[in-house]
Amino acid sequence: MVTCLQVSAHVYSQQKFSLNLKQAEVSSILTIIQKESDYRFFYNYASIKKLGKVNLQVKDASIDEILAAIIVNKLPYKIADDHVVVFYDPDGQNAQITVKGKVVDKKGETLIGVSVKLQGTNIGATTNATGEFSIKAPDNGVLEISYIGYEKQIVQIGGQTNLTITMVETNANLNEVVVVGYGTTKKVDVTGSIASVKGSDIQNLPVSSVTQALDGRASGVNIVRNDGSPGAASSIRIRGTGTINDANPLVVIDGVPSSNPDALSDVNPNDIASVEILKDASSSAIYGTRAANGVVLVTTKRGTYSQKLTTTINAYTGISNTTKYIDLLTAPDLYTLKRERYTNDNVAIEAPWNDPYYSTQRTDWQKAILKTGKVNNADISIQGGNEASTYYFSSSYYDEKGIIDKAYFKRFSTRINSEHKLKPWIKVGQNLQLTYGESNSFDNYSSQTGLLFSALRFNPAIPAVNDDGTFGTSKAFANQLGDINNPYATIQENDAYSRKYRAIANVFAEIPIYKDLKFRANYGFDGTIGRGYQFNILDVNQARQTTNSQLTQSETETYSNLLDLFLTYDKTIKKSHITFTGGYSAQNFRGSNFSAARIGYDNVTTAQRVLSQGNNLLAATGTADDPTGLQSVFGRAFYDYDGRFLATLTFRADGSSRFAPGHQWGYFPAFSVGWRISNEAFMKDITWISNLKLTGGWGELGNQNVAPFQYISSVVVGNQYGTNGYTFGGAGANGAAITKTANPNITWERAAMTNISLEAGFLKNKLNTSFTYFDKNTNDMLIPAVQVGTAGLLVAPDQNIANMNNHGVEVEINYNGGNELKYSFGGNASFISNKVTKLYGPNAFIGSVVYGRSSQEISRTYEGQPIASFYGWKTNGLYQTQAEIDSDPALANDSRKSGIKPGDVRFQDINGDGLIDGKDRTNLGNPNPKATVGFQTTLAYKGFDLAANFTGTFGVSLYNADRMQGIDPTYSFNLYAETLNRWTGPGTSNTIPRMTLDRTNDNYRTSDLFVESGNYFSLKNLTIGYTIPGTLTKKTTLNSLRFYVTGQNLFMITNYSGYTPELGYTDNSLPRRNVQRGVDVAQYPSVRSFTFGLTVKL
Amino acid sequence: KKDLELDQKGVYNTDNYFKTETDVVNGVSGIYNLLEQEDYISHAETTFDVASDDYWRSGDHSEDEAIENLTYDASNAQVNYSWRYKYETVNRSTNVILSIPKIDNMSASVKARSMGEAYFFRAFGYWRLMLIYGDVPIITEDNYANLNFNVPKSTTEEVRKQIESDLLKAIDNLPESYGASDRGRVSKGTALGLLTKLYMYWEKLPEAITTGEKLIANSNYALAPTYQDNFTRANVNSTELLMSVQGLQNVVTNDYTIYYIPRAWGGYGFSQPLQGLANEFEANDPRKAATLLSVGDQIDIGDDANIDTFTADLSSTGFAFRKYAVFYPFNSPEGSGPDHNFAVPLMRSADIYLLVAEAKIRTQGAGAGDVLINQVRRRASAALPPVVNAGMKELIHERRMELAGEGERHQDLMRWDKVKLVDIAAIYNLPVSKAPVDQGKTVTFQRPKHYYYPIPQVEIDKSNGVLKQNSNY
Repeated sequence: MVTCLQVSAHVYSQQKFSLNLKQAEVSSILTIIQKESDYRFFYNYASIKKLGKVNLQVKDASIDEILAAIIVNKLPYKIADDHVVVFYDPDGQNAQITVKGKVVDKKGETLIGVSVKLQGTNIGATTNATGEFSIKAPDNGVLEISYIGYEKQIVQIGGQTNLTITMVETNANLNEVVVVGYGTTKKVDVTGSIASVKGSDIQNLPVSSVTQALDGRASGVNIVRNDGSPGAASSIRIRGTGTINDANPLVVIDGVPSSNPDALSDVNPNDIASVEILKDASSSAIYGTRAANGVVLVTTKRGTYSQKLTTTINAYTGISNTTKYIDLLTAPDLYTLKRERYTNDNVAIEAPWNDPYYSTQRTDWQKAILKTGKVNNADISIQGGNEASTYYFSSSYYDEKGIIDKAYFKRFSTRINSEHKLKPWIKVGQNLQLTYGESNSFDNYSSQTGLLFSALRFNPAIPAVNDDGTFGTSKAFANQLGDINNPYATIQENDAYSRKYRAIANVFAEIPIYKDLKFRANYGFDGTIGRGYQFNILDVNQARQTTNSQLTQSETETYSNLLDLFLTYDKTIKKSHITFTGGYSAQNFRGSNFSAARIGYDNVTTAQRVLSQGNNLLAATGTADDPTGLQSVFGRAFYDYDGRFLATLTFRADGSSRFAPGHQWGYFPAFSVGWRISNEAFMKDITWISNLKLTGGWGELGNQNVAPFQYISSVVVGNQYGTNGYTFGGAGANGAAITKTANPNITWERAAMTNISLEAGFLKNKLNTSFTYFDKNTNDMLIPAVQVGTAGLLVAPDQNIANMNNHGVEVEINYNGGNELKYSFGGNASFISNKVTKLYGPNAFIGSVVYGRSSQEISRTYEGQPIASFYGWKTNGLYQTQAEIDSDPALANDSRKSGIKPGDVRFQDINGDGLIDGKDRTNLGNPNPKATVGFQTTLAYKGFDLAANFTGTFGVSLYNADRMQGIDPTYSFNLYAETLNRWTGPGTSNTIPRMTLDRTNDNYRTSDLFVESGNYFSLKNLTIGYTIPGTLTKKTTLNSLRFYVTGQNLFMITNYSGYTPELGYTDNSLPRRNVQRGVDVAQYPSVRSFTFGLTVKL
Repeated sequence: KKDLELDQKGVYNTDNYFKTETDVVNGVSGIYNLLEQEDYISHAETTFDVASDDYWRSGDHSEDEAIENLTYDASNAQVNYSWRYKYETVNRSTNVILSIPKIDNMSASVKARSMGEAYFFRAFGYWRLMLIYGDVPIITEDNYANLNFNVPKSTTEEVRKQIESDLLKAIDNLPESYGASDRGRVSKGTALGLLTKLYMYWEKLPEAITTGEKLIANSNYALAPTYQDNFTRANVNSTELLMSVQGLQNVVTNDYTIYYIPRAWGGYGFSQPLQGLANEFEANDPRKAATLLSVGDQIDIGDDANIDTFTADLSSTGFAFRKYAVFYPFNSPEGSGPDHNFAVPLMRSADIYLLVAEAKIRTQGAGAGDVLINQVRRRASAALPPVVNAGMKELIHERRMELAGEGERHQDLMRWDKVKLVDIAAIYNLPVSKAPVDQGKTVTFQRPKHYYYPIPQVEIDKSNGVLKQNSNY
């Protein structure tokens, strides 16, 4: 009967069949094909039997051709994705039965909201709150059961009407869905570089913002801690510092791009389902002119359809302390060293250094202001849904009191997310976040008035509080004790707060237009009202007097409106899978502010500290509705052929009001391709490799985060000191001056980025690794035109002049294993190199904020060097003898030579002209880390769980400016304890100069003496938890109960001598903060905290 | 697309400003505004006299120490800041000069006055630049219109000609005096005074005499009745103040007060007078008590009902300047602490009297300046004996006594040193010329290097080779 059968079956390619059959039953033909290929057939035997016996003679025929030949339109059928062929019974006899079932996980727990679909059809159902479903299906039908995080199950009904289906969790993340701009995609299909952090990894950590929790969790993502004050925002740098301008990524919360980058601190981290970080051009380009610094997509939690109501309560409480104190001189030692300066200089000792009062230790100023902080958090969330609607509601309270009294941050937030299937043809949904934040902090940046700076400098013989109740002061001898105020008094007198009210909301509607084409409209709103209050009380007893009490109150308002209209087309045709997303987006922004101050308060009791009680109006200023706007058209096409070849093409056109008409529109294309090598036939036998994907892409992105209206000049008019005002005839007069010139050609910066990545999964994807190379060139970078001093104070507008390069590699490795004892390890490392490739030419540079009373330059950005490099003199130890000075060729022509003494620093004569001056300065180090690493591990055994996150930074230089001043005896301040090891004679020290008041040699100029390695490795957080066994909790009607303890900043291994090597940006001249980094100006120290908490699921 | 063409709100620009008389008058006020800035007159200009033997820097600015001891280099912070502020004076003045001709409805008197003020201040900017840096770039009106500021240096001679030309225009345009509501504006006398000074520094002594005598002959610029009146709240109506910084509480901070008075009294305690200056006063010269606070001196700082005594611990040298120490009386309804409602003198007629006297002595011989010197002495006190047949020695003494702490001494000494009337290097190494803490130091005045400060290194760096450093730096 069968004369010949030849089936050439290639599992992953189009299968071809060569058959030669005579008078064969159709059912037996199907059986043959099913045996030799991966096609499976489902049919009613009686229906097939009716077709009778057929002859079949084909060569290299496809399944379609075969079926057409043998069925000949007598029976309808459908070929589904996974090679399943279903024949429908036209007579409908005994076809439909009602199948009931229950879906459970491995432990037997019911799964809610699981999708159950009759294969090859659109008939489907979802499991209800008890994990049960009911579906009408042919008795020989096939069910497809799918649930996020679990492997898809295929079940043949085979006449059964009561099924129990056990779902198996996916042990790899290949089926995971990741959020991309304007949609989601399967992780396997991603051809760009997207880091995804699950919400569960970052929950219940004692941090005010999710930003801090992201530290170390994704390669290429550097969290730069600027200030440890409660609520202080950290900066996010994705793949290096991409521009000298605002280098913060675009933050998008549930589809609403935020108008200001601090949006993340307004989100309760426990509301977050996932954070996706779009790193490369291909994935970011859909955000066009705002994407050059990467994009952070925050997705908050939602309910799921047919989900039983679940209530989760989180609460934790903890305490925090500083991780370090700087070793300072005590009063007796300070007294001795102060006097030694005069003795060394051969001059009379000045007052008060003959007064033994100042040789008695009275106050450790660091301990006087650094106390124990507290952190408390409580939140509740309720989620669930029925067949038509889903909901998520949460409310939270976070309260952090800093280690400095009166420094605090609190946040109340409420979130409501819901989604509703109004009709089969329309789905609507909304997200709403309401936040109230309140905070207060002290200046920890100023080298004149900074609080910690003051504590490190204030004389230890002065009491914090005098016997008569007044605050100790340096005023009487401010030239000798320092013109700084008692930091304890500063805290006590502080009366200030800033408050923030914010609403981020969006509503969306999704309409399936035709089959695979969907339309989605999204309207978003983001509005913030900020209020500030600051009362400065009259105090003429401190060195820096406040001669009159003064109250300033201010209000700022910013809001934005967003409209997105876009289509999504998703179609699978045979082996091709196409997804197209495209549409229109417009967003506008408005901002206003108002501020008023009154001076002179007759009654300073707290009850009378209101604006109207002030005697005289000092200032009243305001702006209204400063506008900016964006309009965009975007599109993205994704193509997948056979799971092997992937391609993504993205394009966005953006018009920005920040630029002059004619220069407003920018076009940003990107593409990426991928090859899933592991799906190739030749990989079939290599079973230990479960996933192997090579991707590469290129694209261009924009950055428009520069001051708006730079195409227009600026004239400032006012009647005060700061606004060009003056006085004639004893009355204030308006004054005006041009403060900024115009650049009519200003346009956005462009970043061209190349990305190549290899992803590999081993051992059934228990072990996943990836290796990525990227090269990012920021072109047309906006920098001020060279501003020579002959331009006076005129601020030059930015011009598209400069280029910058960041390139590097990212490595990630993750292992998940175990059964009873489950464990995972994840490691990531990023190696990034930054260089400004074009600036003004070889000599000109971009300067930065200066340090201290003598305005020392520390950071300069030059062409050919990394951004914000340290710049100063190189040293070669100390002069030990007069002979060394006499014979030093570096001083041959130096007029200062006679004033230089043994014990002074030997500076290097870089240009060899025989004298030490400004021309001998050079690059002293790079504050941008060469390598950052993160390491996470989790362990779970029975009810116990453990999670740890380690971070490290390597190849980074820091400039310890605080130490530069702290060992400088020419200042009037207290000194670091290490000055006890100062030079006192040949051989006594080669690093700490002699005690002198003489600044001839300027020993403490910016030099490599104060450059230190900032390498560190730290345990950021460690959580140990225990979940009460379900058998016990069930009795108390709780679903689950977990207790945990968390330690934050538990240890740090570092050689850095200051408070913490985690120093951020210190130039507050926004938006150009990036031009100084890694300079220690006595920022808020690292804080170690221990928290205890519980999570209850009702 | 229209949605992207948004209007900026609440901000003026060069397209919508400097169109009316009010705008231009405001532009002129903006030039005056610079005078009060900390990095201009209040602190920076003071430091350029700190090398003198009159006072010691004090304070915690290490860059001031380098300036005092002549060890500064081109990276010195004061040398750096000072540059931009002076050029900003030039810019703001030039903008007014370019704007006025474009305005139709402007009253002739305001137009002339504003032109005069702008020309005066442009001259003043270059005057300070020339004194401190010597050869400096001249930013022409064309440069300004094209916003091209990176231009090479002109010679000191060219800069002086530029100043002279602007001052002559200012003299033509400025009124002789003002009504009460315009008090504080520069006048024809101010321009005549600065031109006299320019000619002295240019060694054009006959021109200095001619110009200075025009001022002296004009009663609008008469010496104040008493010396002290120039340095108290009463000075606002003094005819002698040719140029000043007009302080007004909470509007224009009078930084001189803050910088000069002791720390414990609410100031910064900078610029402490030296023993040599105190020694120079004649026994019965009341200018000593008006100029200096010495140990034991009484002053009411208004902190309580009592009069306060100046004690040794308030200063490292044992002295403080009293000239700018103005306090609110105790329980004043206007305020407490340092009083900002007075004018800081930047140029006084007495200065011009003595310059003309000097020019006469140097051109006509000893005794030629007696009349002018004695006018100044008699105003100080009738008890001071008149000079007879005074030569340069007496003139130098008189200038120092009259103008101590007003920023003239270092420049005067260098000017005289250049024509070999004094030996500045020797003077600066006298023990009485140094603070107690500097007694161990040798100050080396190198000629000609120290006659001018260096061009800021950062400006040399930024200019890409256009700007050349002064010799010897």
